[in-house]
Amino acid sequence: MATPKELSDFLIAIERRAFKQTAYAVRDDHAALDIVQDAMMKLAEKYGERPATEFPMLFQRILQNTMRDFWRRQKVRNLWTTLLSSFGGNDADSEERDPLETIDVEDDSDEPSAQLARSQTIQLIENALQKLPARQREAFVLRYWEEMDVAETAKIMGCSDGSVKTHCSRAVHALALELKKQGLDKLGLSNAVFDKK
Amino acid sequence: MNMHKDNMTNRKNTDLIDDNVIPDSQMEEQIARGISDLLNNRAQHLKPEQAQRLSAARNAAVNYLTEQQAQYSTDNQIAGHSHVLRWFGHAGQNFEQHRVASAALLVAVMLLTFFAVQQLGSTNNLENSDAFLLASDLPPEAYADKGFDAWIESN
Repeated sequence: MATPKELSDFLIAIERRAFKQTAYAVRDDHAALDIVQDAMMKLAEKYGERPATEFPMLFQRILQNTMRDFWRRQKVRNLWTTLLSSFGGNDADSEERDPLETIDVEDDSDEPSAQLARSQTIQLIENALQKLPARQREAFVLRYWEEMDVAETAKIMGCSDGSVKTHCSRAVHALALELKKQGLDKLGLSNAVFDKK
Repeated sequence: MNMHKDNMTNRKNTDLIDDNVIPDSQMEEQIARGISDLLNNRAQHLKPEQAQRLSAARNAAVNYLTEQQAQYSTDNQIAGHSHVLRWFGHAGQNFEQHRVASAALLVAVMLLTFFAVQQLGSTNNLENSDAFLLASDLPPEAYADKGFDAWIESN
């Protein structure tokens, strides 16, 4: 059984990464904070008696499921919004609507302090990461950012090892292409690496 | 012959070049690690209110686990002092959980009571028959005599 200190240490180690990866997925900082909070509570409530070594895997699985729940709720909410707005009149913008467009994206670019803190390079990477298809982003984050092995990633994503490798490979290629488009070789990677893609 | 030699030389060079090229998987790994490092760096610079919110969420989860474990250890202490309390504890939940064992325990108690009552009853009967023999006009040996029963039936 894990001690409260072990749980605390684990959460300290992953909370910021968990928040950022959730924010990339849901594109809403407030929702991301709610999701991470829910995931932390679920881990303590349902798996507090498990050994601390199992926490990374369990937490990631809870986090991914909580994100999926968020998307489902969002989808239903958007459906109702679309239905209600269709009764509201024939506005020019009431046609085909992309659910992603209805989610508020926080833009803190007006804050000078944020501008100073933010590196352009990282911003580009974040944007590129957000553009990735959900499964590719999930695979990339789990495999490379959370440093899980292929089998663990496959278990969390509920797919085969081969699918994980494919998703990861496509994600890295897409990111490399996107970064190259931005004229970015600031990662310390040679142009040859990008030219290969 | 010379052409063949040139071809061989070219082939050797190509092999050398190919050997020096990093395989795709290694390059992918390299790019991915580079991106992950930058993302990690980015994750360390959150807004104060975001960091505060995360910290509050973490504390809530840790407090919950602390309370749960305190509750668990209290339950264990009670159980250590009294097994009956543990059995009937949690508003009879344990009793519900051990339904088969509880039924077996009930049957055992009933059987024990039945045998105890039987045993007490037979002791009483023995005492009564002893008193009857002693108070009777006939000597007790008369009842042990086989011919006595036959004599009573014939008369």
